[in-house]
Amino acid sequence: MAVDGVSMDVRQGEIRALIGPNGAGKSTIFNLVTGVYRPNQGTIRFGERSLNGVPPHRLAGLGIARTFQNIRLFSSLSLMENVLIGAHSRGRSGLAGAVFRLPPFRQEEENLSLQAWEALAFMGLDQKAGELAKNLPYGEQRRLEIARALVSQPRLLLLDEPAAGMNPQEKSALMETIRRIRDTGITVFLIEHDMRVVMGISDRVAVLNYGKKIADGLPAEVREDAGVIEAYLGTGGKRERRRTRPVVALPQVALEGGAGHAGN
Amino acid sequence: MSTVDNSVSGAVPGAPAPRRQPAWLELWPVQALLFLALLVAVWAVTEALNLVIPAYQGQILLFTGINVIITLGLNLITGVTGQLSLGHAAFMAIGAYAAAICTVSLHLPFALALLLGGLVAALFGVVLGFPTLRLSGDYLAIATLGFAEIVRVVNTNLKITNGAIGYYGIQKRVDLPLVAMLAVAAVAAMAWLENSRNGRAMRSVREDEIAATASGVNTTFYKIQAFAVGAFFAGVGGGLYAHTTTFIQPTDFGFLKSVEQLSMVVLGGMGSIAGTVLGTIVLTAAPELLRFMSNYRMLVYGATLIVLMIFRPGGLLGGVDLRDAVRRALMLGRSRTVRTSVGGDGQ
Repeated sequence: MAVDGVSMDVRQGEIRALIGPNGAGKSTIFNLVTGVYRPNQGTIRFGERSLNGVPPHRLAGLGIARTFQNIRLFSSLSLMENVLIGAHSRGRSGLAGAVFRLPPFRQEEENLSLQAWEALAFMGLDQKAGELAKNLPYGEQRRLEIARALVSQPRLLLLDEPAAGMNPQEKSALMETIRRIRDTGITVFLIEHDMRVVMGISDRVAVLNYGKKIADGLPAEVREDAGVIEAYLGTGGKRERRRTRPVVALPQVALEGGAGHAGN
Repeated sequence: MSTVDNSVSGAVPGAPAPRRQPAWLELWPVQALLFLALLVAVWAVTEALNLVIPAYQGQILLFTGINVIITLGLNLITGVTGQLSLGHAAFMAIGAYAAAICTVSLHLPFALALLLGGLVAALFGVVLGFPTLRLSGDYLAIATLGFAEIVRVVNTNLKITNGAIGYYGIQKRVDLPLVAMLAVAAVAAMAWLENSRNGRAMRSVREDEIAATASGVNTTFYKIQAFAVGAFFAGVGGGLYAHTTTFIQPTDFGFLKSVEQLSMVVLGGMGSIAGTVLGTIVLTAAPELLRFMSNYRMLVYGATLIVLMIFRPGGLLGGVDLRDAVRRALMLGRSRTVRTSVGGDGQ
């Protein structure tokens, strides 16, 4: 799905939500930011620097971490190891370090372990550190993914549908966790479908539909916006028939802002 | 050397209290010396063993040791990093021929020849690593297969390798103590590599490349590195092989050899060092020990593999945490250190 002429910003220290019907292009935006897709036009800036063309594996070192819609854990590894890998960008030792194991290597391993423990403890998973990731219940797997993202000490955390598949208690706990994360100074940018979650924690909300941004502002404003309501619910009466129109591919019009296309 | 146990001082609630070894034991020079002492002990024991056991059994042990070095390399590529390689014998061939040429034609010292054999093989490992940028799974396997065939055909047609006639006149420079020491060193090196940031990165490539990338792991780099290091081990093993048999020919290192090596890794449990060693021992010794039923040994050998794959597809030691298993066997209770991973389930 293409994203067409979308311009948006995320301010430091805020909790920013990106919502929209399925297929609107939200994950595409995430993939553009994380370098998985390259934009045909436009730029993606993180602070002073441009992220265009930056290979995806460098982002963790730059301070951007993310979780995934479908949870991507290292399933046959332990929680501890999952989180240690999340800290990969915080370490430097390589082949020589591993084989010779001189004091700098050992010191670094100890530091990474400590950071990993803290991340697990922050997400309430430290008691299960030795368990295999695949043995965790769903809600804890989501928490593990967040712990793994947090351990790299990011400045910006991208959460891709963090509440998916959660029951109401878990969602409330999640909202609290996201607030706690923001309180440590991390900017949170999330995609989410659950409106209670979005409206409950977001500072600002942007709405996409069919690849375009149709609203952007405070949660209360966005909730009242006619265009947003129509996008989600459709309007009644004679417009009803229009809703069954098939989705058509958009022309690649270059407008100001970032236009992205899936693939390369 | 110390295996870094990932427990930390009690500053964090829930972190297990650290096992404290006496401080002097943790010093690097002390541990280095202990390791060297271990190697000397291995040498001494095998020297003694060499005098006692019959030549035939000695040969089996020797080839087992060589195979262990080679299959540990394959385990790194396929078991740890998840890149299926069906052409591992090619790296063995490159190391064998390179080392042989170094001693026979260039009259270089044996140790140097062995090292060069490994390095040349590693270079080709890097070369083979590059297709991984674009290929994965079955397609990568085919590419590695093709590479092995290319190596075999080239070896058959080059003058410097003496072609199909085979390379002869290699001095016999290898004995059991040497192989034993190198095998122990190889196991140690692999264990250290596994238990490090580098090793974790490789495992993350196996588990989920996209998540690994998002965590900051340069997956391309680690894939190529896996091939390079794995090839190095195979190259050294090849050099040892050449200086044991004193005669090598291109058909020694064909597809069947690669399959044998992969079987050893898979049998023992992909991703597991102990498993690879066990699988190698079983599959090197078994055909020899079953020689008495030589007409049927391939049958028995094949059937055994099939039975094992049905009932223990993860391999003999796949999914087994060796430390926990040993502790349970000795009834010491579960290990208090955090298990960082289990030998990979492989593919």
